Amino acid sequence: MKNNDQRSSLFWLAAGLAIAFYSEKYGLGSFSSPGPGFLPFLTGLVIAGLAVVVFLQQLSKSSRERMTDLWRQGRWPTVLTVMGALVLYTLLFQFLGFLLDTVWLIAFLLRVMEPMSWKKCLIGAVGAGGGSYLIFQLWLKAQLPAGFLGF
Amino acid sequence: MDIFANVLLGFQVALQPTNLLFCFIGVLIGTLVGVLPGLGPVAAMSLLLPSTFHISPVAAIIMLAGIYYGAMYGGSTTSILVNIPGEAASVVSCLDGYQMARQGRAGPALGIAAFGSFIAGTVSIVGLMFLAPPLAEMALKFGPPEYFCLMLLGLIILTFLAGKSMPKALIMAAFGLFLGLIGMDIMTATPRFTFGFYFLTDGVGLVPVVMGLFGVSEVLLNVEAGIRRDVFKTRIKGLLPNRKDWKDSAWPIVRGSVIGFFLGILPGGGAVIASFVSYAVEKRCSRYPERFGTGVIEGLAGPESANNSATGGAFIPLFTLGIPANAVMAMLLGALIIFGMQPGPMLIKQHPDLFWGVVTSMYIGNAMLLVLNLPLIGLWVNILKIPYPVLFPLILLFCLIGVYSLNNNTGEIGLMLVFGAVGYIMKKFNYEAAPLVLALVLGPIMENALRQSLIMSNGSASIFFTRPIALVIMLAVITLLILPLLPWVKQKREALGEIAEDE
Repeated sequence: MKNNDQRSSLFWLAAGLAIAFYSEKYGLGSFSSPGPGFLPFLTGLVIAGLAVVVFLQQLSKSSRERMTDLWRQGRWPTVLTVMGALVLYTLLFQFLGFLLDTVWLIAFLLRVMEPMSWKKCLIGAVGAGGGSYLIFQLWLKAQLPAGFLGF
Repeated sequence: MDIFANVLLGFQVALQPTNLLFCFIGVLIGTLVGVLPGLGPVAAMSLLLPSTFHISPVAAIIMLAGIYYGAMYGGSTTSILVNIPGEAASVVSCLDGYQMARQGRAGPALGIAAFGSFIAGTVSIVGLMFLAPPLAEMALKFGPPEYFCLMLLGLIILTFLAGKSMPKALIMAAFGLFLGLIGMDIMTATPRFTFGFYFLTDGVGLVPVVMGLFGVSEVLLNVEAGIRRDVFKTRIKGLLPNRKDWKDSAWPIVRGSVIGFFLGILPGGGAVIASFVSYAVEKRCSRYPERFGTGVIEGLAGPESANNSATGGAFIPLFTLGIPANAVMAMLLGALIIFGMQPGPMLIKQHPDLFWGVVTSMYIGNAMLLVLNLPLIGLWVNILKIPYPVLFPLILLFCLIGVYSLNNNTGEIGLMLVFGAVGYIMKKFNYEAAPLVLALVLGPIMENALRQSLIMSNGSASIFFTRPIALVIMLAVITLLILPLLPWVKQKREALGEIAEDE
């Protein structure tokens, strides 16, 4: 495996074949009356075919790289932290309710990139959470979840 | 004359107080997201889409359109003052705009960008007014085969122009098409690829995907890079360009307007390509091409006009054919469908108030933008000074609220996060998001057109090659697929891809 285009092309080859395989289950129909699986099947084959093209194209290229090269610069642990916080936020969304869930998320995220005092973070978080609650819940009447405390 | 009465109708609609207000909100938000790097018009439009359900469709479309062309204005401010493009179409403006600012000419640079944008915006609106209605008449002759071919052509043009590797862009388009097919099959009511998730029965929502790919993933990349911005510290004075500036910029603005308009019409063309082409043209026309990149006003006036003019052109395929030319227009198409309007050749006839109201509102919006951008420039500069560690939690919060309030479904937040991660990895591996989004919107429409065509022809694919209009379009598709294989075209495309990647 020479470079990342080849690696990603293998992923797409697998994805394309999987799509084509599953589409067959839904019924391909015939050319004169295409079934629900017809176009998904075609797109699966096209993806797989193009993946092969990308793979073969790279054979003649001289560039070599490792997958880890893509993450060598920058702060990827911060990205994971942010993503993790967002997932947790989503899981707790209905239980905690919009306001409470948002306050901890914003307070946490404000500290992620640069150290900032907890006091400042909390003020910012309460401001952002409360402000958006006022605008979206009370003014625009978006139905944000209330959570176990009832707000 | 007919068009005169229509323009009058348009102004009647656009000048209603509520519509004026939403036009103003649109251009204001547009300028804001244009100014802020890492938040583009697509993300902003999907964010505000749910909040438009309470207002009339006309006001909603007026506001969403305002975000689009407003962002083109705002983007130039960031390019000129910070040397970071506020959004993709302002990449070229960094080259000469920032140099002008460093030479103490930030004022005239901002001024000519705003005036050029205003003039070009006006030109493209006039073009839109004259071209769209006759084109819509013509499009009435199109049947399912022609529609299928046209949409295919749109996707192929987009992948042809996008980035370095056409096969990779095509994979994205095909994957987007597949995502568009997820959900209930229209003809047989079979749920496809829903894997038991109830919210997928309606299909993969455009908003979660777009917010993930353009909002969340962009934030993740910026957080990783730890972006810092140095606003050019200088007092901005004398926003009005002098007589020599005007003389130098006059033709670039005219050329930029024309180039932008026609490239904007092309599906997949749009503002980014228009600005690049305009810069190349100005360099070629110039008597001193070697000075480009050192703060030449022509190198700013041309592309800034082109990217604004392209916004007007991009509305043409949407309003005449119901086919979006780019990801932003795909958002508007989504909005039209949500409001129960059938986009297509009948749209102008059935909803004249919508078409003419939106078009004339763009004229008013352009005038508002001139006011917003010139005297209020200090405000935008201050917003640029908000540090990213404070800004990004707010961007994420807006994405979360926006995506949830669309259907009150926590599952869609999850979907957005999935596409945020997917978009992040895609950018790492150099895959373009734009073809995916366009194909996602076109997916169900294309499938319908394909099935109807095949039923019409009794299963023979020859229907796409025997009807004259379809044949011409298919020939264009095939040409575009073969072209990149020719050596000299290959070199040109790779050069273009490298420029785009360097920025």
